[in-house]
Amino acid sequence: MYEFYSWVESLSFSTWLRESGSLWSYPIVLTLHTMGLGMLVGFNAAVNLRLLGIAPEVPIASMQRFFSVMWWGFWINASSGILLLMADATTKMTSWVFGVKMLFVVLGVVILRKIQNVVFHPENPELLKSGRLLAILSLCCWVLATTAGRLMAYLGPQVGVAGPQVR
Amino acid sequence: MNTILQINKWLETTALSHAMSGRVPWGWPLCETLHFIGLAMLIGCIGVIDLRMLGFARHASIHSLHKFVPWGVAGFILNLITGALFYIGAPSQYVNNFAFLMKLIFIGIAGVNILYFYLGGVMKRVDALGPEDAIPMDAKLVSLVSIVSWFMVMYWGRMLPFVGNAF
Repeated sequence: MYEFYSWVESLSFSTWLRESGSLWSYPIVLTLHTMGLGMLVGFNAAVNLRLLGIAPEVPIASMQRFFSVMWWGFWINASSGILLLMADATTKMTSWVFGVKMLFVVLGVVILRKIQNVVFHPENPELLKSGRLLAILSLCCWVLATTAGRLMAYLGPQVGVAGPQVR
Repeated sequence: MNTILQINKWLETTALSHAMSGRVPWGWPLCETLHFIGLAMLIGCIGVIDLRMLGFARHASIHSLHKFVPWGVAGFILNLITGALFYIGAPSQYVNNFAFLMKLIFIGIAGVNILYFYLGGVMKRVDALGPEDAIPMDAKLVSLVSIVSWFMVMYWGRMLPFVGNAF
């Protein structure tokens, strides 16, 4: 498997992403990854807060529209994430911190789909009751995924030439 | 500029600065993590109102969505505190950094925009609107400026390590 990661990393595109020094390579991909996080985790947090009782006058069904923002954020981050992974495949695929992050991303997406079901069918009392628990689990998953993502720059195998502090 | 340099020099002698720049090894990673969680809270909880004023989620009144504002403000305060800690920890990395200047400028634009929303009478008018009422043009403009400036804050924040004299 390591040979495969190594091969991916050595592709000219991966090398360009990692080493070109162009702002349009690694830096812009990382920026998109941050913006996608804001869209997915941020709007998800707002919906979860609503399910937990914040802003009770906001009809739950009216928040359906915000799921498109979250899914846009998800796909922006899935694509930018694949590019970031290609650039540093050997480091990230062998990093336990990355594994933890992926675990919580997958759990977060599964729960997001369940929450979407609640918000799209708020007239169903059974679903609505499960909404609170799902909201808490969802907040936990995304906080942990964000935390693990951030800590990839500090824990486990490291890449790049940037200093140990700030990446 | 000289005064700023003097202040920075003093900052670097403080215990807090030493703690952030290595004496407490988990200080910087913890603040980075919180900075991203605050980012999501701000983008999501302010974003729902911005998008509402641009025509999303019309079944919710703007008044009812206002309960999300304190959560967005909490995210901002979290980021103000963690951001200040980064600056105290490594002032020289920010002082002549073009990206940092641009980030501050866009935070300033977002701030003036919010002041205009609350003090310029925009908020008063949209607060009285019912779920399906048409949104005034200035409110739409305020939303657009808000979204663009916060995304620019993310862009320049992410560019901190790649532009200018940064690490």
